[in-house]
Amino acid sequence: MIASTGRRFILAGAARWAAFAYWLFAPAIAFAHVGQGDVSGGFIAGLEHPVMGLDHVVAMVAVGIWGAQLRAPAIWVLPVTFPLVMSFGGILGGLGVPIPGIEIGIAVSAIVLGAMVAFAARPPLWIAGVIVGVFAIFHGYAHGAELPESANAISYAMGFVMATGGLHALGILIGVINKWPAGEKCLRAGGVLIALCGVYFLFSHFIGG
Amino acid sequence: MRKFESVGRLVFVIWLVSFASSAHAHSTVKGVGDLYAGLLHVLTALEHVLPFVALSLLAGQRGLKAQAEAVLLVFPVALMIGAAAALWVPPIPGLAFFNVASAILLGGLVAAAWPLPGAVFYGLVILFGISHGFANGEAISGSIKAYLFILGTGLAGLAILAYGTLMVDFLLGRKASWIPIAVRVAGSWIAAIGVLVLATTGRTMLAS
Repeated sequence: MIASTGRRFILAGAARWAAFAYWLFAPAIAFAHVGQGDVSGGFIAGLEHPVMGLDHVVAMVAVGIWGAQLRAPAIWVLPVTFPLVMSFGGILGGLGVPIPGIEIGIAVSAIVLGAMVAFAARPPLWIAGVIVGVFAIFHGYAHGAELPESANAISYAMGFVMATGGLHALGILIGVINKWPAGEKCLRAGGVLIALCGVYFLFSHFIGG
Repeated sequence: MRKFESVGRLVFVIWLVSFASSAHAHSTVKGVGDLYAGLLHVLTALEHVLPFVALSLLAGQRGLKAQAEAVLLVFPVALMIGAAAALWVPPIPGLAFFNVASAILLGGLVAAAWPLPGAVFYGLVILFGISHGFANGEAISGSIKAYLFILGTGLAGLAILAYGTLMVDFLLGRKASWIPIAVRVAGSWIAAIGVLVLATTGRTMLAS
């Protein structure tokens, strides 16, 4: 009796996972509108932009993971303030204000944020905010400067902000494993990987340049 | 016996479905198209939808029963007044810029979750209602029946505001502590989108 209840529970869990997986992949169907008009085209371009560049992806996920390690209030202060600071960087990029070494700054952001996760560093909230804020400007600048001329600005910005927020959320979700001792070690190992990615970006920037 | 009944029912349903095409014949209600034109002019333009959503989040944060119920009436009326004003008042330069800026302000207020005094809140509701209504009213031209288009504009505002406000009011009544934060994050996203739009196309908007 107990075994059958257990099995039923597992099956229900499996069904839930299947539903979740379907929900995850279902958006692929909804994307089939690119040809219809400018709005959706700009949206897809914006959505893709932060996700396609690995340098952005690792840094955004690192922000989420670090937030999860820092717990409240950082876990919600960072995702609320990041988009705003990043959009300020976007202004600088859009206006063409020269900031030298943007690519270096982005690579360094992965190194620093990865290191923070690796050491599970717990600085005061304002220092964490400043670190993340400075890098948010670099990332926003790069996006603003790279805005395609043809894209519909508002749908592009919408896709772009949502993708960035989605990457933060991914980091925060990954950070849930911080509850368990083994998970905490995994997160810190992940931080090392992120920092190594940053070193690679920096290295390839100088070799490539 | 039962089997026959269900076959009969199936035949009946097929018979009914075969008549569905005749339901499209709406041409007897002439001129209603302009109502939809007014509705869609708002609903298909992100520069209106985003600030409206931000306003609905802000109203939801205030709590529907306590302080924000009247917004569901005030905002659509302000929209319609703005749209009607566009019939007489010449186009206002830089209005598109102002309307995107409204998304930044409203989204920022949601992100800050700072309790606004009622007078300020309703002041913003009326100001932005009129400015967005005006921008929509500028599209009325030629054979469009103005009163239907304006009514459509008001209905679109009501729809977005009602859905958003009711949803946030309902969600904030739940216990989960992440819900208020998720609402604030949504506000911060809308503000960030507005800033990025002004950063990239603000100068063209001001010139137009």
